[in-house]
Amino acid sequence: MELTTIKDAFDRVNKKQKLSSSKSQEVIDQVGREIEQALEKIQSADDPTSPFDQKSILTDLVLELNAIDPLHQLEGPQKELNLNLSKYQKLLERFFNPDISKAYRNVDFDLHIVNQILASHFYQEGLFDLGDSILNEAGEPEATVLKSQFLDMHQIIEAARLRNLEPALKWASTNREKLKQNGSKIELKLHQLQFLDVLQKGTRADAVIYARTYLAPFYSLHKKEFQKLMCCLLWAGRIGSAPYPEITSPSHWENLTEELTREFCSVLGHSYGSPLGVAISAGIEGLPTLLKLVSVMSAKKQEWQAMKQLPVPVELGKEFQFHSIFVCPVSRDQGSEENPPMLMPCSHVLCKQSMMKLSKSGTRSFKCPYCPAEISVGQWRQLYF
Amino acid sequence: MDSLSNGAAAATIATRTTPITTTPAPPSSKLAHLTESLKLEHQFLRVPFEHYKKSIRADHRVFEKEMSAVISGVTEAADADVSKDDAVHHLSSLVSKLQGLKRKLEGGSRIENLQAQRCRARLDHLESADAENLTDWNNTRLKRILVDYMLRMSYYDTAAKLAESNNIQDLVDIDVFQEAKRVIDALQNKEVAPALAWCADNKSRLKKSKSKFEFQLRLQEFIELVRAENSMRAITYARKYLSPWGATHTKELQRVMATLAFKSNTECARYKVLFEPIQWDFLVDQFKQEFCRLYGMTLEPLLNIYLQAGLSALKTPYCYEDDCTKEDPLSQDNFRKLALPLPYSKQHHSKLVCYITKELMDTENPPQVLPNGYVYSTKALEEMAKKNNGKITCPRTGLICDYLDLVKAYIS
Repeated sequence: MELTTIKDAFDRVNKKQKLSSSKSQEVIDQVGREIEQALEKIQSADDPTSPFDQKSILTDLVLELNAIDPLHQLEGPQKELNLNLSKYQKLLERFFNPDISKAYRNVDFDLHIVNQILASHFYQEGLFDLGDSILNEAGEPEATVLKSQFLDMHQIIEAARLRNLEPALKWASTNREKLKQNGSKIELKLHQLQFLDVLQKGTRADAVIYARTYLAPFYSLHKKEFQKLMCCLLWAGRIGSAPYPEITSPSHWENLTEELTREFCSVLGHSYGSPLGVAISAGIEGLPTLLKLVSVMSAKKQEWQAMKQLPVPVELGKEFQFHSIFVCPVSRDQGSEENPPMLMPCSHVLCKQSMMKLSKSGTRSFKCPYCPAEISVGQWRQLYF
Repeated sequence: MDSLSNGAAAATIATRTTPITTTPAPPSSKLAHLTESLKLEHQFLRVPFEHYKKSIRADHRVFEKEMSAVISGVTEAADADVSKDDAVHHLSSLVSKLQGLKRKLEGGSRIENLQAQRCRARLDHLESADAENLTDWNNTRLKRILVDYMLRMSYYDTAAKLAESNNIQDLVDIDVFQEAKRVIDALQNKEVAPALAWCADNKSRLKKSKSKFEFQLRLQEFIELVRAENSMRAITYARKYLSPWGATHTKELQRVMATLAFKSNTECARYKVLFEPIQWDFLVDQFKQEFCRLYGMTLEPLLNIYLQAGLSALKTPYCYEDDCTKEDPLSQDNFRKLALPLPYSKQHHSKLVCYITKELMDTENPPQVLPNGYVYSTKALEEMAKKNNGKITCPRTGLICDYLDLVKAYIS
């Protein structure tokens, strides 16, 4: 990247600044010395009544100082410094985009909403004092409910990190129905980890008691796991050598925090990643395209502020695809309820309107625009993504 | 009944497979993305540079001023008839003046070194961004953006806490905003002196950008004199400080002068507004703008710029539907409200996300169609078939069919 060029330019600025600053020190010393010398001469002058001598010393000093010309001495280094300063600034403007607000639409974000978003971001990340602090400084009401939810989550996760599963298990049993709806296996997983822990540290009898009390209810839904877990009893005290790495692998503990966070957020109706983080990353990926778009549009004197839809696609990474969007390859229209995607027997897909056009409103067969297949009337069906 | 339990199984796959969604993109595009996003970091380098430049300029001005004073001091002494004692006294005072200047410049040079270090730290930080391992770097960037927002909104404590707890003080502009804080605090207390001092400090640059901030401050001071019914002083003030702006800002000057005829309790709307406390808020906003412009910052907080761009890029009609996935920020009311005035994104090509796995359906994971027209990804259907002896259950309609009944869909 061109960063090395920029770094070099900055080093030059820095060098010139140091040069100029040492030069000014030098000049100050020089002038100071001259004055001190004159001072000494005046003080050591023999005849106190002769003003002439003192006067000539002072006149000499003036001449001397004029010869030194301190301001002029600094001109050179200053000029070079200024040159490098403006060079560096121009370099920054050339390599970077000097105004990334060009694509900004002049709509003011509601301050309260933004502050609430920030506070919940901090809470979700477990930075509770920052969340409180910003609400306090912004004079916003406290978000007690949200905070207590995330506080619970972080306490449970912190405990789990220290291999204390009690809080997590308690939470899982309270939210059993919701977790079941989400198809989550987290409760079984927690009991499984706890059971193996008992087996490793305690006696076989303890483990059997644990299994009877807590694992038995899972038998009907998870027979296979249950059987494997019970077989682990044979390897009590040396779980690591049991032939079920999918159950006994220590990676289960490592992944537990992430899994718990995911399940917890899902039960709360929250996203796993901070929505603010997701939106900002999308913005960073999308902004370069938007900036280019704006510069093209302003060159053509087109209006940017009022558009209902962006005129060009902003490509974002896979992680930002949350919805299925069908775009008809013929008409380039986005699929909708009135104009849904239709599958032809040759497996190509068009939108309904394009299909109607090609088939003259469903009255005659036509050739698929993408392959030689002949499509007769009524051979198509609607798709649901 | 059967369909229900299968639906649950399908959802299980969803929760289990989501963590693997980030399959690595080809490295070249990653690098291109990174280069593009680094280009957005102008402010990041510019602000500490402006700060540095400002100190350099200020030091040089001090040098010029003091040095000229010393030289003219010597010339004066040489021209005048003074006693020996006076001459000695005069020259010694010049010597100590020079010593003072030297100390001052030494202090200034220490500050400049720190500022140069900060500029370099930022260059190093940009250089440290590695396309293959960006998670930490991106997290820091988010924090930088948040600190920028908080500083601009004057949430200084939270900004400082966030910066300290992440050890990113060199990457954010807390000290630059200290300067702004003094002025803003004063304006909020209805004092203009620090703001005027700031204008004087940055006179030449404000003049270059044709700023009328100083004029607005002067107008406000004048209004305060009128409010205090101190008409004579108001007129003297206007002669001294407002008249120089007369040629370029006649209308505003006339309007404000007319307040002399009214009192602060006037009901005449045109003049009443000039006496309202909101004028001070305008001054604060105006100052913030001038301040940002001077330091080469964007006028809007970075957070707003990125958030707007992100929401526009993410906004689709589907985001506002009830079944919008929770992972989409636009499933949340707060984000939906912010995105309301923004344009929808546009797609030239289909982007299909599997209902079950939430993964993108592309050539590697092509979409397949059930007999009822519902489409899911090959990966999801294969897994379901493996678990259920080749049977597929549509999670949305409950339809059961054979894996062999599926057909491919070619979507370009």
